Amino acid sequence: MRIDYKLQDKFDLWLIFPALMLICIGLAAIYSSTINHPSVQSNFQRQLTWGIISVIAFFIIYSLPTNSLKYIGIPAYVLSILLLIAVLLIGRKVSGAKSWLYFSGIGFQPSEFAKIGTIFAIAAFLSRSNSNIESLKDIAIALAIGLLPVALILLEPDMGTSITFLGLILILLFWKGISLFGLFVVLSPGFVALSSLFGVYYFIGAFVIVLFVLLLFQKDILTSGSILALNLGAGFFTEVVFKALSPHQQNRIQSFIDPGADPLGAGYNAIQAKVAIGSGGLFGKGFLAGNQTQLQFIPEQWTDFIFCVVGEEFGFIGSFFVLGLFMVMILRILKIATLAKDEFLSLVLVGILVIYFIHLMINIGMVVGIMPIIGIPLPFVSYGGSSLVVNMLLLGIAANIYRTRKNYT
Amino acid sequence: MINSRVFWVLMGVSIFFVLLIVKLFDLQVLKNEESVFYAKRQQNKTEYVKAERGLIYDRNNILLVYNRNDISFFLDNNFIEAKDRPVVAKKLSSLFKNKPSHYLRMMRVKSSTICVEKKVSNEKGLLVKNLKLPALYFREDPTRIYYYNSMASHIIGYVDDKLNGVDGIESSFNSTLKGEDGIRLIERSAGGRMITVREKDTKPSIPGLNVQLTIDKKLQTILEEELINGVKNYNASSATGILMDPNNGEILALANVSDYDPNNYSEYDDFRRKNRCITDMYEPASTMKAITLAALLDQNLCSENEIVNVENGSYRFRDKTIRDTHKNKMLSVRGVLEQSSNIGMVKLIQRMDDEMLYKYLRGFGFGTTTAIELPGEVKGTLTKPSEWSLVSKAFLSFGYEMSVTPIQLVTAFSALVNGGVIYQPQIVKRLLNSSGGTKLEYQRREVRRIISQKTSDRMRDLLASVVKNGTGQNAKLDFVTVGGKTGTSKILENGKYSASNYNSSFVGFFPVDNPQFVCLILLNSPKVGGYGGLVAAPIFKEVTKRILISLQESYQRDSQKIKEESDNVQFIKAKSVEEVKPATIKNVIEYHSVKQNITANNVMPDLKNYSLREALVILTKLRLKYKIIGSGKISSQSIVPGTQIKKGSVCKITCTETKNNVLIN
Repeated sequence: MRIDYKLQDKFDLWLIFPALMLICIGLAAIYSSTINHPSVQSNFQRQLTWGIISVIAFFIIYSLPTNSLKYIGIPAYVLSILLLIAVLLIGRKVSGAKSWLYFSGIGFQPSEFAKIGTIFAIAAFLSRSNSNIESLKDIAIALAIGLLPVALILLEPDMGTSITFLGLILILLFWKGISLFGLFVVLSPGFVALSSLFGVYYFIGAFVIVLFVLLLFQKDILTSGSILALNLGAGFFTEVVFKALSPHQQNRIQSFIDPGADPLGAGYNAIQAKVAIGSGGLFGKGFLAGNQTQLQFIPEQWTDFIFCVVGEEFGFIGSFFVLGLFMVMILRILKIATLAKDEFLSLVLVGILVIYFIHLMINIGMVVGIMPIIGIPLPFVSYGGSSLVVNMLLLGIAANIYRTRKNYT
Repeated sequence: MINSRVFWVLMGVSIFFVLLIVKLFDLQVLKNEESVFYAKRQQNKTEYVKAERGLIYDRNNILLVYNRNDISFFLDNNFIEAKDRPVVAKKLSSLFKNKPSHYLRMMRVKSSTICVEKKVSNEKGLLVKNLKLPALYFREDPTRIYYYNSMASHIIGYVDDKLNGVDGIESSFNSTLKGEDGIRLIERSAGGRMITVREKDTKPSIPGLNVQLTIDKKLQTILEEELINGVKNYNASSATGILMDPNNGEILALANVSDYDPNNYSEYDDFRRKNRCITDMYEPASTMKAITLAALLDQNLCSENEIVNVENGSYRFRDKTIRDTHKNKMLSVRGVLEQSSNIGMVKLIQRMDDEMLYKYLRGFGFGTTTAIELPGEVKGTLTKPSEWSLVSKAFLSFGYEMSVTPIQLVTAFSALVNGGVIYQPQIVKRLLNSSGGTKLEYQRREVRRIISQKTSDRMRDLLASVVKNGTGQNAKLDFVTVGGKTGTSKILENGKYSASNYNSSFVGFFPVDNPQFVCLILLNSPKVGGYGGLVAAPIFKEVTKRILISLQESYQRDSQKIKEESDNVQFIKAKSVEEVKPATIKNVIEYHSVKQNITANNVMPDLKNYSLREALVILTKLRLKYKIIGSGKISSQSIVPGTQIKKGSVCKITCTETKNNVLIN
């Protein structure tokens, strides 16, 4: 085996460079959006501190032996579940969701750390030597591993993060090689559930489509019947969950369905975000010169709506650049996932990719108005210590796997 | 197997990236203008910049009304967290007299912006600004200051909260005083807070013109004081007085007692606030005899020495009995006026037909407004001859069956003695722009000639003998000849003439040879004395006496200063202004010619210890704009004394009140 001592061989600059760039852009955007906000001016410094901590965390994870990742999977998952239960019991409520745990003054969101545990747990389960993705039992167990944190996070309630987990479960199953039918079984309840949000007729329509597709698969009556029941259940369950949601989250979902109905309510953010980004033009208004941002038309812009700052102050060029950085990172992770010879590591990498991608998709999607307003941060860019540290830890895992990619043959 | 999965993931990711990029391109490049439009619409707001309201001066440039640059403070509720509220409240209450709970209660209101303190003085405003509360912001909120409080309140009027004139000159010259508001484009935040001003889109405000009144502060004070004395001495319910220059209709003083303080106008009732000189009418009674007689003389229907039988004080005319207070058997026409004989007048007026009398009465300005530039003037009542009864003309001849306003009577009386010309009463002398230049000079406005010069001369002589020998003897003075006519009319109460309540008046003029002043004194319901000759004439006499003393004083001062002037001019020419001691400048400050010498050097003088008015005169001469902070004597100035002055620059002068000398003048 030839050993290459070039830096790029051990350390993937294509991973770390975009991440560092994004953190810097994020810091600039946070600075710009908080400069006229006397109460949150310290956010820039805090994010800078967290940025340094997260880079250190990255290097710690990066330098761990890759094999150890396999052993931290189950304990990390168990710890995550315990923390998620703890947050429901002793967590602190911030803007409607009980999602913060405080240890000696420092707060963090267990739902962020649960991402790592869940990726590892599902990856470990699916990469068992005797796993059979064709069996409904294995699918069910994998789903159960994934849905447990989803349920706990929904109780907080934090819709955005739950959706990330659902996507994660789905893609991991897909990556493992689930059959078309298996995928249908997993997906159809989600489809029905989503349709039911739009009203009774959409629900019935979706249910008829599911029924029709099910007939095409020509499975036995017991299987078909139980899947239909599952779908029906999903529809009603959604109704229950929707009612259990906090009013502001209900409004956010409804405002996506009809954003113009309530311009000063939940749809307000969507409209202001679009105006901010749109008024940026091709080259942007310049750093610290975005009126929408500086005049605080978008509340709490430094968190979920941070992309507006980029769009307004740096224009289409800036937005394109940020998307490009994400694209490079995601494609790089995908590349490493195909290089990784070990199935577990490959699944973990895809899990990381999915976490990044879903955040990106929902966050930028909601800002430009093709996704509902769901509170979810933009990785590396949005203000928030937990999110930044977890994202850098995930990146550290990816870099770690890249470092030792040639060891697994 | 794995390769197809990679393909699908790659596809999914790529499609989404492309979708995002397309959407971003659509939003940011294709629909950019639309977004920019919406953004601008919500971010930019045009705001009006209030123009500074014009000042009001008396005829000698004494500042009567100015604006104090107060500040109002507002709290933006969105920017205070609930836990910080007690701190904010405590800080505010440390500066103002309200308790912290007062502010806490305010902050509990839902609205986002609350006005915590209105019209805070500039000095205190600085302290508030020093609190550096992020949620606190301020707006300039000037207060109109009527420096002499109630003095000339009925002429000056007052303004409402938004500095819009409500009464008096403030109302009738509102558009002149108000100036033109400027426009500025401001950027505002989502919370509605003003963030920046876009200078290039700003149109500055044009300050209002300053108004110089025809009234003389000294004479106004004399008239007011004497009316107050009169009301007290004769236990009257109220009194009115007007002092007019008969040669041009300029009102030198106009007062109603009781009056009000325009600084706190809301504390006074309507009666005290209204300018009864123009809004209230009364039956003029005997004062009208002078007008009637002038008409008769003008038409050559009688002569002074003609003898009239006045029937021993009681005369049956048609179905009415006419009585005289002073009973006589026979009187000359002169005597009729001197003794104020109703019977004589009734007999004489029969020589004139109805239309002619009506023509004269209208010609003197009765039954129509004088068009004085003050709001609320009424016409009085004068019916047409076609509506007259058989006794109407008789009653009109001695001032009943008609009602007049004091301003109408003074205007008519001025015509009587000035050679026969009715001049429109003037209250404003000139309009000045903010740098002191004259924008508009009001010229005397001749309305019409009503009697001949000769008739006017005869009337002066007749009216002088009323004071000399007749009912007006209480107005007689040793050192000036005075003419005038008394009047006592019973007040109509519930449709009947009251037995005890009179309107007692005296309208006089002086000096007789060349009348400079016409003055009407009207007392309502005096409980002591009653008759105009006993009540109003002595007040007129006091007013006249004090006017003459005051004129003499200023004459003496003038002649003394003319001597000083030549010395000082030399002195100033010899040395530069810095070397001139303030005391020396102060001595000559009153002096126009010397003033120009000071200011000609274009060097900033030291204004310290000057009165505000003096300082303003100098600053105006120097063509400097000024901002006044506080009131009282000048304690500091923003332009250092001795520096070269740039035209149009702003000098901030800070004044402090000194206890022993609070008067500006």
